[in-house]
Amino acid sequence: MAPTLEAMLLQYEVEQLYYAEAALLDERRFSDWLALFTPDAHYWMPIRRTVMASDLENEFTKPGAMALFDDDKTLLETRVKKLATGYSWSEDPPSRTRHIITNVRVLEQNGDEITVEANFHLYRTRLEADEDSWIGRRRDVLRRVDNELRIAERSVFLEQTLIKSRNLSNFF
Amino acid sequence: MSAIDYSQFVHTREGLVDRRIFSDPGIYKVEMEQIFARAWNFMCHESQIPDVGDFFMNRIGDDQVIVVRNKQKGISVLLNSCRHRGAAVCRAEQGRAKTFMCPYHGWSYGLDGALIGVPGLREFYRSDLKKNELGLGQAAQVCSYKGFVFATMDPAAPPLEEYLGEVGRLGLDMLAERGEIEVVDGIQKNILDCNWKIAVDNLFDWYHPSVSHLSAVQTGFLADLSSGDALRPMQQMVMLGEYGHAIGGPRTTLAELEEIRTSRAQVRPTLAARAEDAPRLEKIMGRAGVRSLGHPNIFPNVWITLEGTQLCLRLPRGPQQTELWWFTFVPKHAPEWLRTAIVQMASHLFGPAGLLEQDDGENWQQCTRASVGTLNRRYPAYMGMGLGHDRVTRDGGQACIETVVNEHGQRWTYQAWSDWMMAEDWQALKTNHAAPPTDVV
Repeated sequence: MAPTLEAMLLQYEVEQLYYAEAALLDERRFSDWLALFTPDAHYWMPIRRTVMASDLENEFTKPGAMALFDDDKTLLETRVKKLATGYSWSEDPPSRTRHIITNVRVLEQNGDEITVEANFHLYRTRLEADEDSWIGRRRDVLRRVDNELRIAERSVFLEQTLIKSRNLSNFF
Repeated sequence: MSAIDYSQFVHTREGLVDRRIFSDPGIYKVEMEQIFARAWNFMCHESQIPDVGDFFMNRIGDDQVIVVRNKQKGISVLLNSCRHRGAAVCRAEQGRAKTFMCPYHGWSYGLDGALIGVPGLREFYRSDLKKNELGLGQAAQVCSYKGFVFATMDPAAPPLEEYLGEVGRLGLDMLAERGEIEVVDGIQKNILDCNWKIAVDNLFDWYHPSVSHLSAVQTGFLADLSSGDALRPMQQMVMLGEYGHAIGGPRTTLAELEEIRTSRAQVRPTLAARAEDAPRLEKIMGRAGVRSLGHPNIFPNVWITLEGTQLCLRLPRGPQQTELWWFTFVPKHAPEWLRTAIVQMASHLFGPAGLLEQDDGENWQQCTRASVGTLNRRYPAYMGMGLGHDRVTRDGGQACIETVVNEHGQRWTYQAWSDWMMAEDWQALKTNHAAPPTDVV
């Protein structure tokens, strides 16, 4: 299908949102980052399991089952508040992070909401030489509010089953 | 008697533990043999594998085991290693199987571990293969305590209930006696660079929350935690059991449980449920046990937490690496609000993203890392808090220590570690392990 100007503009808008979001996280401007989410936002990272090909429907836990993140906006605010206390030892000294966002695809448009998938690489170093790296896929529902795109749902699917880091103290 | 005197590393009477035990590769290998290959290891909850062929992968020490519901509806615990060349016969961490076929040469095993298929048995082996001697290695004993499945590789280990003793059973009862329970789908698993004992030590540690978890407390996220109510540094209770099992943490009263039931049931649903069931639970858990809000450790590495809603395994993966596995339990017929509350609280507090646990791993890695240094090792870890200041009392015949924040549970764990490391076999361990104290501790 030939690209339409409208689709290209939307693609551009979504990509710019993600680049700006990545910069906010890497600059540790967490309060500004929170403002990108709608008040009813849900932030979710299911648990992934190593399963046989015949059992792939059970690879990720389902909504309502156990997850690594299962947060509403209030809990996201709590996480940000925690980081600002000055006693959040896992992030003080602060981690150095870099969010790389690629392969952005607008999958669906439904009124004010659009569903977008993107790939990410979150790279973190800590203290002298600790290093973590998470690659995965994000599936967002973005909602247009006052002519701005806001994140109403974020699902994060990591390419790890056993989480290979001491914690997940950063945002994806 | 083993060649090395492991008691030299642990001086519980002085409250000192040699830091070498937190990183030495040689000591680690002996732990695998003397502790994990002998102990009853937690495998899974029966609700995870209800039907024939359902399996869940776990570990006993360094080795992977398949925990599977067999054709007799019993549970087999099988070493995940083909008897031909050793490749894993199961590559998924959970699922359902009819048989386990090794993808290398095709040897296949039944759900009970028996070798049932060998390609080329007639043509290449000329029918000269003792199939009945080449089944998968398996646990010497498998037993379930109220739905909690344990296995030991040692035929000489005492029966599970005897092994658990009063304190171990009470620890599991905190979970098991909440009515019919089931595991919520999804075991959180992560690996961190810390020695497994540092993670175990921490579960008795009610000294660290006000510093380690200060950031979480200050968010006001947990009202009870912020007020210090849940931690109760001045109202602690410790129980020390056979073979290293112990429970340590806050204590309550029946009157307070009742108050929670009538006024705060939505906030503390599991404690409200305990109050509701108090007369029955008192008979099972004992008069002291029903007042305990502490953390049990089933020696060596099973932590039951969060008012009996979760269980965390600390699985050793090398002298300086540990996997943490979180199992979350809900009453089978829980109303939707309760199920949601338990599930969300679990991921908000614990697991790698948990507001509490985020900061734990950071500290444990530092403790482990420092134990490697030639100079740091000259200074033993200090765990003398409360040493000699407390006394074992009895409540309804149950031995307990009612006191303030302390390190009795930690000292007991390291004493047991030394006993296990020194004992030549189960017979020796039965005879030569420290008896739970009855007087001053």
